[in-house]
Amino acid sequence: MKKLIIAISLVAAFPVAALAADNVGGCGVGSMVFKGQSGIAPQVLAVTTNGISGNQTFGITSGTLGCTQDGVVTSNMAATMFIETNKEQLARDMSVGSGETLASLAQLLGVEAQDKSAFNSFAKDNMARIFTADSVATEQVIVALRAALASDATLSRYQTAL
Amino acid sequence: MRTIGFLFFCSALLLSQNPAAGAADSEYLAELIAKSKQLRLAEKPEWQKLVHYVPNILSPGVHGLVDSPLFYNAQDGKDNPQAELEATLASFYSSIEEGNKQQNPQCLFVARYAWLNEQLAFDARRMPRQTCKRFQQWYASLNPAGLTLIFASAYINSPSSMYGHTLLRVDAKDQDEHTRLLAYAVNFAANSNETNGLAFAANGLFGGYQGAFSILPYYAKVREYSDLENRDIWEYELNLTPAEMERVLMHTWELGSIYFEYYFFDENCSYHLLGLLQVAWPELELTSQFRWWAIPSDTVRAITKDTGLVKKTVYRPANATVINHKLDMMNEQERRLARNLSVRQINVNDPALSALPDSREAAVIEASQDYVSYLRATEKTDVADPAVLAHELFTARSRLNVAAQTPEILAPQVHPDQGHGSSRIALGAGRRDGQNFQELRMRGTYHEIMDADGGYARGAQIEFFSTALRHYETGVTRVEEFMPVKILSLAARDDFFRPMSWKIEAGWQRARIANGGEPPVFAVNGGAGGTWSNERDTALWYALFEGGLRIKGDMANGHALGAGPSVGALYDFNPRWRLHGYARGLRYFSGQLDTPLALGLEQRVALGRDLALRADIARNREMQRSYNTGSVSLLYYF
Repeated sequence: MKKLIIAISLVAAFPVAALAADNVGGCGVGSMVFKGQSGIAPQVLAVTTNGISGNQTFGITSGTLGCTQDGVVTSNMAATMFIETNKEQLARDMSVGSGETLASLAQLLGVEAQDKSAFNSFAKDNMARIFTADSVATEQVIVALRAALASDATLSRYQTAL
Repeated sequence: MRTIGFLFFCSALLLSQNPAAGAADSEYLAELIAKSKQLRLAEKPEWQKLVHYVPNILSPGVHGLVDSPLFYNAQDGKDNPQAELEATLASFYSSIEEGNKQQNPQCLFVARYAWLNEQLAFDARRMPRQTCKRFQQWYASLNPAGLTLIFASAYINSPSSMYGHTLLRVDAKDQDEHTRLLAYAVNFAANSNETNGLAFAANGLFGGYQGAFSILPYYAKVREYSDLENRDIWEYELNLTPAEMERVLMHTWELGSIYFEYYFFDENCSYHLLGLLQVAWPELELTSQFRWWAIPSDTVRAITKDTGLVKKTVYRPANATVINHKLDMMNEQERRLARNLSVRQINVNDPALSALPDSREAAVIEASQDYVSYLRATEKTDVADPAVLAHELFTARSRLNVAAQTPEILAPQVHPDQGHGSSRIALGAGRRDGQNFQELRMRGTYHEIMDADGGYARGAQIEFFSTALRHYETGVTRVEEFMPVKILSLAARDDFFRPMSWKIEAGWQRARIANGGEPPVFAVNGGAGGTWSNERDTALWYALFEGGLRIKGDMANGHALGAGPSVGALYDFNPRWRLHGYARGLRYFSGQLDTPLALGLEQRVALGRDLALRADIARNREMQRSYNTGSVSLLYYF
């Protein structure tokens, strides 16, 4: 959890329009593997909340991997960053076949209104295939999700957004 | 960067090959400045708000709250709105090209440009218009449809979150209420990597940090508040016209590259968010009422109160709140199964679990999932491999062919902006040790366990600057107590949640000493223990073990150090009438020896949201002398 929060802070809390710093934020998803086991004392977290959002220039080298531009996530990274940050909630929503995290993923993949309920059932049926183990890297989730979508007649066209 | 830009502009004029063009520029600039003076633009609220000017406290005039020099175009821009306006107009001639590390002043100050253009109708032929690609791109990516004020309520066991937190959400056109996670959040926070709470508090109090605005996906904030910290979130959808929303966002862009010195009490997240929001329209005045301190819930109140600014309120319960609701819907057996499943005493194939109807089995597994998530997020996990357990639960749940068993969770009746006012004044009369007295009590802020809970966290007491003055019938008028800080956190424990309760208070209280006098004594008290609650949540009882230190020159060895238990119970006959009985006994074993005991009963009857009646009785023993106190008082919250 601690890693996750730090990752969120570093990646996401980028100045709106950094004047002195470069406005292109790196994101380095590969290095932000969600470990899950580690945590952080609530007190420290509370501090994080009211003030500290991470040193905004720390760990971000300009242009390493275009992830944010003036604080906004670039569209090709949007789904990756969303999955990275919401993995556990996504697994939970997939296991019941509904919920706002799943609905948001559908939105990011461009799932159209008439395919939404198919997408929800698809997610529930393929949950164990997409999240293969207890602690799985974002890239693996994406690869598995893409493969599962590809093998689904109705939904295969949505894999391109990943 | 701004200074360089301005110099560049000047030298460009001097070196110009075509003196006529330069002359025309400066002629037009002079024209614009003359017109701005004639219209007295620098005095207008729009300009005052865009540059964040506030009146000086001691001298006439104003000063800008922004501490970053880059925000001002004029040397004396921080104190001189007119000079800043003129220099801003001049900067609009800059020929700086936009790049990844710099912007043209027309883009950097995009809201100032828009407003000045509205007022002065710039002639594009005489002042070339810049395109501002970065801003345009940013605005297009946000795809804004509206703005929502987000309030993360206080987290009971965390002192640094106790006031709550506010941020602004930018809702996009292609989102609906199910996909709001994908919106962006504009957040104001202190920039610091300090993990030492004390150093953080000290720096935060005295402006040691730079506060800055940042923008990040709303889901990142929801994860942080809702799942990791278990703070309920309130979303206040704002009623803004497209033009007003655009103004706020343009100003957001202007604030993105600058910083303010961060002060916990006044210039904090909520204050500056109001400063941002009030540029929506000229008459909207939100910050002026918060010159001394800005408590997030009070700033929400300011927005919901008079301005007609809120069109809809949405409640987003935290993970722990959801778990509690799920548990409330279960019978004893299901509850036990969920608990056992979460700590691996049974597994997902347990016959007792499989014997349940599918929907109930699903409900048990879901509650267990949420609870495992809660344990993982708060580092309280009981099993060695919680991630493996979580995965087992998800997989098992996905095999059950029933819909999600999430109960509908209604928003609490009293919203955070609808609770009692956070300041309090009380007038009372009573009798102590045979002497009648009249009493005046004041509290700077914020909530006490005897106050009505609506809009606040139950069992969380945070009082700053609590003061009591008494006039006795003998003619003596004295300060009975002055307590800068009093925090008490009574968080109920059950078979699922086991928070620790604690207290800390510091200040001056009257205490009897060996020479018979009763001087004000500096005292620090702290304690830790547990709290329990009944099923209907109408009663709380607690037991703490406390330590206390008193410091006073007249005492033996100048101090008294002690420890001992305190117990108490709160009971609500109804939402208006609350009873609190307590007993407390400390043994001071070092310095001045004494074993003071206190036994008391307090009652509160709420007469309205901001009015209450209190009746307290107590029996105390200090330095082997016992006496009784009784008082009745009327409390007013504001």
